[in-house]
Amino acid sequence: MTNREIDQILASRTSAVPTADRVKAIENFIEADLKPVRPLAPESLYLAFLAGVFVVACLASFYFIPGVNGWKVLSNLQRPAVFAPLLLSAGVLAFFLVRQMTPGAAHTRDTAAWGAGLLLLLAVLVAVLFRPQPESTFLADNVTCFIGGMKFAIPAGVATGLVLIRGAGLMPRLAGAAAGALAGLAGLAVLEIHCPILNVYHIVVAHISVVLACSIGGFFLGGVTFSRRLPK
Amino acid sequence: MDLSSEQQLEVSAPTLESSIRGLEELMVCYQQADPAAAAALIERLSPQLYRFFAAQLGARDEAGDMLQEAWMRIHRVRHTYRAGEPLLPWVYAIARRVRVDSYRKRRRIAVRERIVEPLPEPAVVKDEAGDLPSFEQLVQDLPASQREVLTLLKVNGLSLEEVARATSSSVGSVKQKAHRAYDRLRTLLSAQRTTK
Repeated sequence: MTNREIDQILASRTSAVPTADRVKAIENFIEADLKPVRPLAPESLYLAFLAGVFVVACLASFYFIPGVNGWKVLSNLQRPAVFAPLLLSAGVLAFFLVRQMTPGAAHTRDTAAWGAGLLLLLAVLVAVLFRPQPESTFLADNVTCFIGGMKFAIPAGVATGLVLIRGAGLMPRLAGAAAGALAGLAGLAVLEIHCPILNVYHIVVAHISVVLACSIGGFFLGGVTFSRRLPK
Repeated sequence: MDLSSEQQLEVSAPTLESSIRGLEELMVCYQQADPAAAAALIERLSPQLYRFFAAQLGARDEAGDMLQEAWMRIHRVRHTYRAGEPLLPWVYAIARRVRVDSYRKRRRIAVRERIVEPLPEPAVVKDEAGDLPSFEQLVQDLPASQREVLTLLKVNGLSLEEVARATSSSVGSVKQKAHRAYDRLRTLLSAQRTTK
């Protein structure tokens, strides 16, 4: 039996139709609530906004934290190894977030997977390029850096969420986690620019954990916030 | 999947290309609160959406409720459709979500409910044109993901690319699922012919 024969059989069996009353009820409901709506702005505008949020978070850090001690202590190999995957993953996550605002947009899951992959690459590069170093005030430094990173990540996350809520993401938890990760990356960028500690354990525990904490927070908040856009 | 069957799959899919442009224009007018466009869109898309739900559930009364729910959601998020984008993946991505939510809801209810007496087996809906069961019955034995892809391709007339967008997966994955669904259906239909 060929595919064409199967098609013919399937085509001859698809007779189900909704009742006229049901269709009329839907028409009446929609007609009663019909108001003009403003369609979503072009994707490029949302992308520019998310990039703006990231840049503003980094620029604001110069006002609150003087100097660029972190940038200065990084070697010529460490700088691109840290900032290239960081910026790339931020870009990919922003692209995913903008895409998932529209149901049925292309390459949503692929983009999310790429973003997650780049974040993993960043963690691996940090583990490979940085070495354990003695740090007498390990716990205090970690707390200071983690709180410092979160101070910039949380406002970035709120701004990102305010944009995303306009869309209708069908994967609210994934969108929340991605939005959290993007905000966390802004916090991580701030820490990498300003924190002069090169101890690998400090970077993993205090810096990268900002991204992780924001992703987890976004996952739970996204489930509540974005799913409200979808009527129950 | 060999190339010939792949080509056959794409060629034999019922194409709605001629009407798609019209649908997109109607959607834009619907966003601008044109009641005639909204009504036309409902008239044209409801049968397709209904078949999509009926094929997934195998129960036509529930499909009606889900159709209504899908239109409520479409209405609520109609601003998220961007002019120029294909409409069908947008509609079916929402419909798919309705189906998933409905499935979860039914499962939650099923867990809480106690069956007091066995329910009668649902009667096989036979088509008047022949003695084979209806589409819903034919695809009932397929795994949910294959059934969904086959319904979208063959009943709703979406292209492979559109199905990939509606289901948030890749074209390759859609092709693979369709190929497996065909293999399974071929076996089922051959077995039915042999029994006759």
